[in-house]
Amino acid sequence: MEPHLGSLVLEGLGKAKTHVVVGLPDGLLRDVYERAASDARFRYIGVTNEGEGASIVAGCWTGGQRAVLVMENSGIRVACEHLARLAHNNEIPVPMILSLRGDLGTRAFRAHGHAQSMEPLLQAMRIPYKIITRKDDVVDSVAGLIYHAISSQHHAALVFAPPLIGGA
Amino acid sequence: MNREDVFRAVAGVLHPDDITVAWFGGERNQWKTLWHELHPGEATMSSLFMGGLTAFAFGLAVALPNRRVLAMDSDGSLLLGVGILCTLANERPPNLTVLVLDNECYEGTGRQPTHTSGHVDLARLADGAGIPRTATARDPQALAATTAEMLEDGELGLVVAKFEPGPPPAYPPDRLVPWDDREGKYRFIRYLEHTEKISIKPIYVDE
Repeated sequence: MEPHLGSLVLEGLGKAKTHVVVGLPDGLLRDVYERAASDARFRYIGVTNEGEGASIVAGCWTGGQRAVLVMENSGIRVACEHLARLAHNNEIPVPMILSLRGDLGTRAFRAHGHAQSMEPLLQAMRIPYKIITRKDDVVDSVAGLIYHAISSQHHAALVFAPPLIGGA
Repeated sequence: MNREDVFRAVAGVLHPDDITVAWFGGERNQWKTLWHELHPGEATMSSLFMGGLTAFAFGLAVALPNRRVLAMDSDGSLLLGVGILCTLANERPPNLTVLVLDNECYEGTGRQPTHTSGHVDLARLADGAGIPRTATARDPQALAATTAEMLEDGELGLVVAKFEPGPPPAYPPDRLVPWDDREGKYRFIRYLEHTEKISIKPIYVDE
């Protein structure tokens, strides 16, 4: 049986000794949130907005507990102030896993802006990112996301795009 | 009660290894210098920003469950992201106490009023969110007693310290503690690495 996306993400996080998952759910990454919340090896912390989530992740990292922020790509817009301050004032990393919602071909027009603003915002905040589309790439990319954040002391983002997730 | 009274009351009930997360607002070097004198050592993470302080302190409390963490937030800062009160209410970190320094204004920008100068009561807001223990202190004695109890009781708590705005102590330049946001972060994590015997920022990532 083909592994679920959530299982692969948790495998990658476990490989990189990351056991705190902070998230604001969206439907495209639902399997990730639900598996993180139900797996005893992980602590899942649900938040009220993505900026708050970024600061919680930063606090975890500063205290020596690796953590990751999981959210829809629209969350980048909400979290900009927190991410910018943490990166450029303090050099505290916040690794992020995002869903790519609103890419070309999406029927739900309200999501189009999510995709259109995501990459310019990541670039404006000098956040390195990688977009992946295949399940085979998930485990190592998730672990790599964490290693990149540790070594750079800067945010990094991994974007899951169709067909790895739904979307259109 | 003024800000110095607040600092002295709180510092008097802290243990040397208690972790504080603080934002000093306007004239921050003078306030930071006073805090450094009252709570010496490297156990203060003081280089954060409005709107994220209590969330950051919660992350630290998650990472360091064996350490008591005191978030020293402010009215203007907490009002930027009151959703954290709801997250805390559900997570209930037992080692976190939130102190809100509430002078009812944005002092650093000219004392324009915050919403707490009107009908907003942050302790009641926290209580309504589900924070198990909340209080408001209006004098140093009450603040010290309440903060000490909240740090000791092994339960999440939030205390609002109402105080009057005013200038910091006049320190001569040679007594001011030099600081920098990034330097402060590195000094703090090196302190944690030393006291907790953990690696937070290795020289090389060789995993």
